[in-house]
Amino acid sequence: MSGLSLDPEQLDRYSRHIIMDEVGPEGQQRLLDSRILCLGAGGLGSPVIQYLAAAGVGTIGIADDDVVERSNLQRQVVHGESDIGRPKVDSAADFVAEQNPDVAVERHETRVTSENVEDLVAEYDVVVDGSDNFSTRYLVNDACTLAGVPFSHGAILKFEGQVTTFEAREESPCYRCIFPEAPPAGSVPSCAEAGVLGVLPGTVGCIQATEAVKLAMGYGETLDGRLVLYDAADMTFDTAEIRKNPNCPVCGENPDIGSVHDVEYTDTCAIGD
Amino acid sequence: MRWKLFANLAETAGEREVDVDVEAGATFRDALDALFETHPELREEVTDEEGNLRDHIRVLRNSQNPFVADAGYETTLEAGDELAMFPPVSGG
Repeated sequence: MSGLSLDPEQLDRYSRHIIMDEVGPEGQQRLLDSRILCLGAGGLGSPVIQYLAAAGVGTIGIADDDVVERSNLQRQVVHGESDIGRPKVDSAADFVAEQNPDVAVERHETRVTSENVEDLVAEYDVVVDGSDNFSTRYLVNDACTLAGVPFSHGAILKFEGQVTTFEAREESPCYRCIFPEAPPAGSVPSCAEAGVLGVLPGTVGCIQATEAVKLAMGYGETLDGRLVLYDAADMTFDTAEIRKNPNCPVCGENPDIGSVHDVEYTDTCAIGD
Repeated sequence: MRWKLFANLAETAGEREVDVDVEAGATFRDALDALFETHPELREEVTDEEGNLRDHIRVLRNSQNPFVADAGYETTLEAGDELAMFPPVSGG
């Protein structure tokens, strides 16, 4: 890889990256060569897609099976009034095409399930989880951890967000090291039930995008081993240390989960009988 | 000592921060009991029939999980310890 492959328009477009010693033409080329999968083109996915596209991440996969609804527009900033009723992957892809012609979008207009998740994450260098339910989150954790694909986790509710990065290295913890199983149905409300401040996924999604860009460039320290608890209401960031759990069912010493097919991704996402 | 509560746990308690009357040398269990005395509705939400924390509820003492970094319920607390309790959230 060499900065010489950047054309004059790219040298101009990415000049504020290239001028930094920490990025330079090599770092920009790594971004252009990278493939990042955004799971969900909703509240979190919107700012992630925007900033990855602006940064020149060469290939962005977008997986979402929803269509744009008017109630999305309060926070899902890649979609607009005229997109209501359109698939979110199409609306998001149009946004990217307008923002940066260097970026190729791979549309996955599908629900991510245990049948397709392994093939999907294997195609990408980094995964950004902006999904909206526990089942998908545990599925993504298990698939990425088992495949060794680094991923960013972000989750939101009302005024609060939780965000971390799992690099899926030998010594990295995973989401099940924090929460071994999903909470019983009904014990933690969803955004549809409890609401969400419109700007909240902007903040949390931008942290996720930051982590994904750093992973793609190979620069800086990620949140691997730390969970940030962000509270927009009192504007505080608390950090919880996360250690790898030797008894973790996915990444522990004697894991019970060897593949996503070992788990029923319903209710508590526990190991099937 | 002060507890900080997150997400729906703060909603259940009706406040985000709860000061409890627990002295240095007390155990983590004492601090939990003191929290539940001021907010009995929280006890119902986060503990099981045996009075232990439910599997999806995480606690912190000075940013670390006392069940991983220390002696769990028997962890001895020090003056100025910051305690926290949070559930997972899933929205996107």
